[in-house]
Amino acid sequence: MVWLSRLFAGHEAPEARLTAGQQRLITAWRQLPAPVMGRSHYRSRYVVVDVEIAGASWQTDPLGSIGALAVVDGLIDFQQAMELVMVKAGAALEVAGRPPGQGSEQATGGGPSAEGLLEFLDFVGKAPLVAYHASFAARRIERAFAESLGVELRLPWIDLAWVMGSVFRQFGDENSRMDVWLAHFDIESIKRHNAVSDAYATAKLLQVTIARAARDGFETPASLIELEKAHRHLYQSG
Amino acid sequence: MSNSATELLVSACIQVLQAYAPFDRMEAAALRFLAERVKLAHYPKAAQILGSEMGVARTLHIVQRGQVRIKRSGGSSAESASITLGPGRCFSIGALMAQRESSSAYIAREDVFCYELPAEDFFSLTQKSSVFNLFCTQYIAGLLRQSQQQLQLQFAQRAAEQKTMNSPLARVITRAPVAVAPETSVRLVVEMMASQHLGSMVVVDAEQQPVGIFTLSDVLKRIVLPGASLDQEIAAVMSPAPQTLPLAANAHDAALAMAMHRVRHLLAVDEGGRLRGVVSERDLFKLQGAGLRQIRHAIDSASSVEVLVHAREDVRQLSLTMLAEGVGGQEITQFISTLNDTVTRRVIELNLDRHDLYGIDWAWLSFGSEGRDEQTFTTDQDNGIVYICTDIMDREQTQLRFLEFARDVNDDLDKCGFPLCKGNIMASNPDLCLTLEEWEEKFSHWIRTPEPLALLNATIFFDFRPLYGRFNLAHRLRLSLLRQTQGNPLFLRMLAQNALNVAPPLGRIRDFVTGADPEHPGTIDLKKYGVRLFTDAARLFALANQVEATNTVARLKYSSALMNIPPDEVAATVEGFNFIQILRLRHQHFEQEHGRAGDNLVRPDELNEIERRILKESFRQARKLQARLRLDYQV
Repeated sequence: MVWLSRLFAGHEAPEARLTAGQQRLITAWRQLPAPVMGRSHYRSRYVVVDVEIAGASWQTDPLGSIGALAVVDGLIDFQQAMELVMVKAGAALEVAGRPPGQGSEQATGGGPSAEGLLEFLDFVGKAPLVAYHASFAARRIERAFAESLGVELRLPWIDLAWVMGSVFRQFGDENSRMDVWLAHFDIESIKRHNAVSDAYATAKLLQVTIARAARDGFETPASLIELEKAHRHLYQSG
Repeated sequence: MSNSATELLVSACIQVLQAYAPFDRMEAAALRFLAERVKLAHYPKAAQILGSEMGVARTLHIVQRGQVRIKRSGGSSAESASITLGPGRCFSIGALMAQRESSSAYIAREDVFCYELPAEDFFSLTQKSSVFNLFCTQYIAGLLRQSQQQLQLQFAQRAAEQKTMNSPLARVITRAPVAVAPETSVRLVVEMMASQHLGSMVVVDAEQQPVGIFTLSDVLKRIVLPGASLDQEIAAVMSPAPQTLPLAANAHDAALAMAMHRVRHLLAVDEGGRLRGVVSERDLFKLQGAGLRQIRHAIDSASSVEVLVHAREDVRQLSLTMLAEGVGGQEITQFISTLNDTVTRRVIELNLDRHDLYGIDWAWLSFGSEGRDEQTFTTDQDNGIVYICTDIMDREQTQLRFLEFARDVNDDLDKCGFPLCKGNIMASNPDLCLTLEEWEEKFSHWIRTPEPLALLNATIFFDFRPLYGRFNLAHRLRLSLLRQTQGNPLFLRMLAQNALNVAPPLGRIRDFVTGADPEHPGTIDLKKYGVRLFTDAARLFALANQVEATNTVARLKYSSALMNIPPDEVAATVEGFNFIQILRLRHQHFEQEHGRAGDNLVRPDELNEIERRILKESFRQARKLQARLRLDYQV
């Protein structure tokens, strides 16, 4: 409940807590051109993310860490990866007792540090974001940005669960667990439930998916979003 | 970037790679360098990962997951369908190393993930990691073997019956060795030989290491005729220090050793030097069918030049068979040289019956390719004589006797298929039939005054090797030559400059430069623009480092050890040199089969993909040698 207590603790606007340098970084990010969604997958930069929760409850426990990995021109580059640790998994229970806003960028009790989020912002740029079960990740990440930096991300999200359910209809659907796809495509996991490792596995699923989607005529990031929309329309309304 | 996420992914990549060769042996820092620079790519089933139409290879691919099928260009697809690469395998090292397009197509058989390393990082890696460098070098050597296999197919029917000459001695030996201790009585030895039908008896010490051999013909010559006692120890009558070869050596090595040492039995020993078997000329004869034994026998017992003419033709045929079998360039040229030596020695012996040179110390020298043990199918005479003249007053008279003798030998050699030398580099030339002091003076003059002709002479005459007579004269000449060259950096520098006059025919745009000879467009002279580059550098290395060897490969090996050049680098150089030699031999053979005098003009366009690639790599090795000369001598 950290974010809740945080929300009610002070009523000052998030911007007021930021240094001038940090605010400049945010301004610079805002001025970046909007993502180009109409280029080929193999000329685009995707950022794949995975979030881990520090605790048992999806809804109420704090964000533990975000793993992010870029897929650039279809390739995974290990140098374009980052991990944002907000609460150490083991420390989750003691978190509430600590004074907020002190110490390093990671594991401060009060939630994600501004520095860490800015680093993430810089890493993502204006690339479309990809996650497996994206709505959940999107909600948690967007909220963290709004609260700590006062930034609304407004980036396109692609939910790989829906896209894969559409592209590989014969092997699974949008409700399939990620493990099902990993087993099907024989993709190994370095360390399951580690945000970076899961982001890496998700990135490999994205590679598999864009290859098949491109073959079927869905050759751009925008077309993946179309595909997802159509599929949702078909199954959620049914 | 020191970042925990990158660190996790890089470590995971290292872990994956470490499951496969050569990464399992790779230096930790180099492996990390690799893992930090690769990117992961995915290819769906049936996608082409690499193909010839994609242009020069720019990436090293390492399969992470899945299977990749190789489709050779021009090859039958049914057969090559079985060639697949699984996780941990790299491609295409050949195309990367040669900076050219891949000759094969690589196709994903299923979903494939590949680690991909940019070409410039690939080259840095070969420099950072000696393990990886060796791996790539061996890969190129593997291509060479492939090429030899193709060659083998061309000569399939002849190769089939000859295959066994490649078998290791361990397979040639059919029975357990019978051996006795040195103190065994002659009587017991002879009884054992008679009862067990042995042609020879090996004498071993307590460690089972051979110390002598006693053969049936020794019974006659050393026991029966002199009436020696049968009760004395075998050690007193055996031939000591018998010739041995390791078990891993093959029948060719045995044949060569027999021809070189003029023996009919060889002892095969294991790593500890212990006797494991006896190989007789008869054993090889059985493997070989017609061939070596008959030729050797024919040469040794030839009573006239006419017989030798036939033997020389047999030498050629036998070397062709070896060529067809895929025997290496070094082995063949050495084989030809050894048997040609035998012919030359017999020609000399036959002429000694008619010329009285008794009481004079002298030696027959060979120069040029013969001096280097690197003769090919077409080779003319390059020889001379060195002698000792104790009384200066007799000098002229002595020389006249040698010149008469030499003229007859030169003529007979000509009849045997060694054409007279157009440049008159022959023992019958008064300038090349000299006393030891005169030779020394001649060499010293060239070294002190290195004008162009002197340098040219150095490249021919400094590769001298004794063939007959007092070998120690040649040795003395060699030592005095090395003394003089070592103390004369200017001469070595001029020699380096001379060696650099010809550059490897590698093109900037096209693969090869073929326009060097306006009379033969589209060809490369593999002697002038190939072999020479290696022999020149090797000679210089040898002269600068006091290496006595004349053979190019031996020179490279011995001197590079003194120059601290890593062994795998030398191996790659030797590989390149040998490949050019093989191409020459094949070309000469082809020319001669079609009734032409074999030249060295090869058309790169007529070579296959693999051969062109290796030839290019070979020239690149020559360029590396030249770069070293440039650096060492600042020219």
